[in-house]
Amino acid sequence: MRARLTTISMVGPALVLFVVMLVIPVGLSLYLSLTDWDGYSANPAIVGLKNYVNLTHSAEAIRAGWVTLLIAAVGTVLLSVLGLGFALLVNGASRLNAFFRIVLFYPHVLSALVVGFLWSAVLGTSGVVNGWLTSKGAEVLPFLSNPNWALASLIGVLVWAGFGVNVVLYLAGLQTVSRDLLEAARIDGASSRQTFFDVTLPALAPVVTVNLVLSLVTLLKTYDLVVSLTGGGPAGSTQTAAYLILWDSFHNNALGFGSAQSVVLMVITAGLALTVARLRSRADQGVRA
Amino acid sequence: MSALRMPRVATLQLKPWRSKGWGRIAFLVITSVLMLVPMYLLVVSAFKSQQDILAHPFSVSPDQLTTEYLKKAATNPDFNILKGYAVTILFVVSVNVLSVALAGPVSYVIARRGERRYRMLLLLFVAGTFIPSQVLVIPVVYTLKFLGLMGTIPGFVLFETTLTLPFSIFLYAGYIMTIPASLDEAAAVDGAGKHRVFWSIVFPLMKPAVVTMVILNTFSVWNDFVNPQIILGPGSGLYTVTTGVYAAVSQYSTDYTVVFPTLLLAVAPLLVIFVLLQKHVISGLTAGATKG
Repeated sequence: MRARLTTISMVGPALVLFVVMLVIPVGLSLYLSLTDWDGYSANPAIVGLKNYVNLTHSAEAIRAGWVTLLIAAVGTVLLSVLGLGFALLVNGASRLNAFFRIVLFYPHVLSALVVGFLWSAVLGTSGVVNGWLTSKGAEVLPFLSNPNWALASLIGVLVWAGFGVNVVLYLAGLQTVSRDLLEAARIDGASSRQTFFDVTLPALAPVVTVNLVLSLVTLLKTYDLVVSLTGGGPAGSTQTAAYLILWDSFHNNALGFGSAQSVVLMVITAGLALTVARLRSRADQGVRA
Repeated sequence: MSALRMPRVATLQLKPWRSKGWGRIAFLVITSVLMLVPMYLLVVSAFKSQQDILAHPFSVSPDQLTTEYLKKAATNPDFNILKGYAVTILFVVSVNVLSVALAGPVSYVIARRGERRYRMLLLLFVAGTFIPSQVLVIPVVYTLKFLGLMGTIPGFVLFETTLTLPFSIFLYAGYIMTIPASLDEAAAVDGAGKHRVFWSIVFPLMKPAVVTMVILNTFSVWNDFVNPQIILGPGSGLYTVTTGVYAAVSQYSTDYTVVFPTLLLAVAPLLVIFVLLQKHVISGLTAGATKG
């Protein structure tokens, strides 16, 4: 009995907080998504799946969904490729490599909000780069004022700010590659390309999975950078799902509709992350077999 | 068997490696310059006039530099940066203390008990990492209103602490499993209770994992924007560094004599901490990730 009380006193506080601040809110989200609540009225009406049906007709929400998926897909590929590429380049314990690692990583320390304001001052219509181009007599470039350019700029800044993390994760993975195998491959006359694809890459398989899942989950919730870099514009072209959810919930007072979008985003995030993890673990087993 | 062949291969490989080495360094230097240009612009522009920033963004003429705009940003009536630092540091410290105090004991129980229900408990906590916090903040507002904690410091700290639990518990439980259980059994035989065993025997041995989590939590609490913006709200008058920057910069986004100095003041402390602690930051992140 006393032992049980001790266990409860160790597990209880964290569990209670977790349930109150996370499990119940997720349940509340599910419930609100079935209502037409505006955030004020005392008795919101239950409207069933109407919000979800409306979601499939909402051009704005569908565009935000595609924009988010595009950011996540392109961003995840770029982060992983650049992460691995640069990890191979700065692997090794020299002082110069240590310096390069810090330089590649530092933007990650800055808040995404600050990064967005900084880059909007650099890329904006009257920003630093365009000011410089004008002074050279060149045309102004629409980094943030043309819908396609703005989306590309947003992805570019996300990659600039984030790939240092992937570099660090791949560096950690490279430490686990067996030196004996690398040496054996070299002795057997394998080219560096063969060594990379037959020895290094298979050993990195678990780190590849971590990188893909982490990048995907992070990019699917892109919000702060949208607020400070593009404000969702021009003409809504850079509105992400998280941006639209908060906009609908707090500016449009459409909490039911916003909650339905939240539920869909949660399901897609968990679904994609688990799918990637499962596909990767099958790939890992294939390598071991 | 290969001892005879090895030296020959080594000499063959030396030459291409060296020439490749210079290309590698040149490429990395160019990349580093690209990485650092925005930071360079941020620092030099904080000391320039609007005209100077737009006409000569990259060049620096020492006689034109001024600290006037930086002083103005530091005393901006929209956003008192010193108060912003103080509020943010208060949040960082409270969240870290509370997070360790709550996640430590539960991780210990999970790590030391093999029963199925404790594995399910770990899964429940870890599932929390998939939930985007921007999605969570909407229903949390109503949970906090119900508890009478909306717009308050305790409400915000409790929610922010909850967000640290999934990864902390995952990392701590994994780490405790590498600490031999015979250590705590010995202490238990000597009559120490579970709490006592955890805090005085196991916890000191968890230092690397705790340092990692404290660093990661510090960055995420310091940089968080959406949660303080919505939970504390503009009405409470409580600004963190990020919500303060938003209030100060978003209306004046083309007045670069406001934008650059404010941003510089916002990032300076974090960059100093990062440069001082970069080894721990990078290795901590590494430790956290490879165990994931």
